[in-house]
Amino acid sequence: MAAESSGGNIHQGGELTTILDLRMPGDTGAISGVTDTVSEKLTELNVPEEKRMEIALAVQEALANAVVHGCKNDASKQVRCRLERHRDGRIVIVITDPGSGFRLGDVADPKRPEGLYADHGRGVYLIRQLMDEVHFENGGNQIRMWKY
Amino acid sequence: MDINVRKRGQVQLVQLRGQLRMGPAVDGLRQTIEELFVNGDTRIALNLAEVGMIDSSGIGLVVKFLASAKQRGGSVKLVQPSKFAVQTLRLVGVLNLFEVFDDDDKAVASFS
Repeated sequence: MAAESSGGNIHQGGELTTILDLRMPGDTGAISGVTDTVSEKLTELNVPEEKRMEIALAVQEALANAVVHGCKNDASKQVRCRLERHRDGRIVIVITDPGSGFRLGDVADPKRPEGLYADHGRGVYLIRQLMDEVHFENGGNQIRMWKY
Repeated sequence: MDINVRKRGQVQLVQLRGQLRMGPAVDGLRQTIEELFVNGDTRIALNLAEVGMIDSSGIGLVVKFLASAKQRGGSVKLVQPSKFAVQTLRLVGVLNLFEVFDDDDKAVASFS
């Protein structure tokens, strides 16, 4: 499982290159296009397929949370998605929404018996499983995810 | 995402092609399965051979339909889920809720 923190740009300092800086409306119909754009760029960067798919799914989940919870499905609001690469090759995804954030402690474990048939509540858990580091920043309205 | 539905005896075989994720894909599958349920079709084989990614909204939809189908005497069974789909379903602990088959014929026959 990924390491976590509630904030702190511990890897900043001129070692990161911004590859993509995208903005999308708070509309669920816009999520897949951004996910695919990130995935295509990862292919160009020669990121191995398995790693690329894991990153893409984490991006999909984080964008979905940003649209549904951060924007309340309001297409007039914007979500920002950045793809950065550390000089040592690690991939960083930063997704920011205009919402009030959330408390990680409020996210229930989706693998608890009473949650197995739930139709929601697996996104954050999946992100934490798929990525190597996950940081929730600005009170939870920004997620910074690292893939080694 | 393409959704193709064929009736095989008492079983509805639903074949998906594309990514099962939030937005039009999940909305389309929701509408398709709800229409099957309205018509009394609760025995569903869901072919995921050509689904590369299934996100948490897709997983939520499928497990919800599994529960609904079972309450009505049917089930939702998976056919040929891709490697990444299996990995994702296992990660969130729902893979074992489903019967999984390696081809359509075996899934259809299992409802007999």
